[in-house]
Amino acid sequence: MADKKVGGNNDGKEKRRKESILDLSKYLEKQIRVKFAGGREASGILKGYDALLNLVMDNTVEYLRDSDEPYKLTEDSTRSLGLVVCRGTALVLICPQDGVESIANPFITQ
Amino acid sequence: MLPLSLLKTAQSHPMLVELKNGETYNGHLVSCDSWMNINLRDVICTSKDGDRFWRMPECYIRGSTIKYLRIPDEVIDMVKEDAQAKSRNRTEMNKNRGGNSSQNQRGGGGGGRPGGGNRNNAGNRSGQGYGGGPSNNAMRLGGAAGQQGNRLPHAAKNNRK
Repeated sequence: MADKKVGGNNDGKEKRRKESILDLSKYLEKQIRVKFAGGREASGILKGYDALLNLVMDNTVEYLRDSDEPYKLTEDSTRSLGLVVCRGTALVLICPQDGVESIANPFITQ
Repeated sequence: MLPLSLLKTAQSHPMLVELKNGETYNGHLVSCDSWMNINLRDVICTSKDGDRFWRMPECYIRGSTIKYLRIPDEVIDMVKEDAQAKSRNRTEMNKNRGGNSSQNQRGGGGGGRPGGGNRNNAGNRSGQGYGGGPSNNAMRLGGAAGQQGNRLPHAAKNNRK
C-alpha cells in the first residue's frame, strides 16, 4: 500500500531507480567470469540475463579447487559445464574475462 | 552521515573492498546502488591469503557479499555538503507537504502522514514502510508517543542548522 502511494507520485522515477547499475548487454556474446557464493568460479559466453542477475552462459568452464584449500583456484584444472543458468542470488562477482590477468604483487613497492 | 551517502559521494574515488570470502578489490568506484552493489574499474584483486593478485579492467560486486569498504579520508568532507543540501531540501518538502495536506483535508492520507512527518523529523527512514499501512489508531498511538519523545531534541537539531 505504501509502495503504491509512492509509485503513484512518480511512477517513472520509481521504476528507473530499480534498474541495475550493471549493464549486462555490453557483455552479451562475450566471455565473462563469475564468482559464486561458496567459492566456485566459472567463465563462459554470456547468452542472456534478467533483472535478478540470473545469467545464461554457454561453453561454460568451471575452475576447480583443491579440497585442502577450498578458496585457492588451480587455474589449469577445469571442468566443462556447457550451457548453464547461473542463479543471480548466488553470484558474488561478474567481470569480463578479457583483460583479467594474474600479476605480481603490485603493492610491494611501498 | 549515512553509509550509502558516503559511498555515493565516493564515486570516482579509489577504494578497497573486502568481501566476506576474504578477497579484497582495489579500484575506482564507478557506481553503486541502494543494495550496495558496486561497479569498480581498474581493479586489482587480492586473494584471501594475500599472495596472489589479478588485474581486471572492471568488475561488478554484489552488495550482500561485501564485508567492508575503505574509502579515502577526504571523501567525508564532501559528504557533509551533500547531507546539508539534502536536509535543506527535505525541510522545504515537509513545509510544502504539510500545507497541501491541510488544504486538501485528506482524512486517510493525513492519518498516515503524521508518522511520515515524524519520520522525516527524526531522520529515521525505517518508519517509512509503516506510514501508510497500519490503522489510524495504531498510527496515532505511535505518532503521539513518538512526537512527545522526539520533537524536542529534533527541533533543537534543526535550529542548530
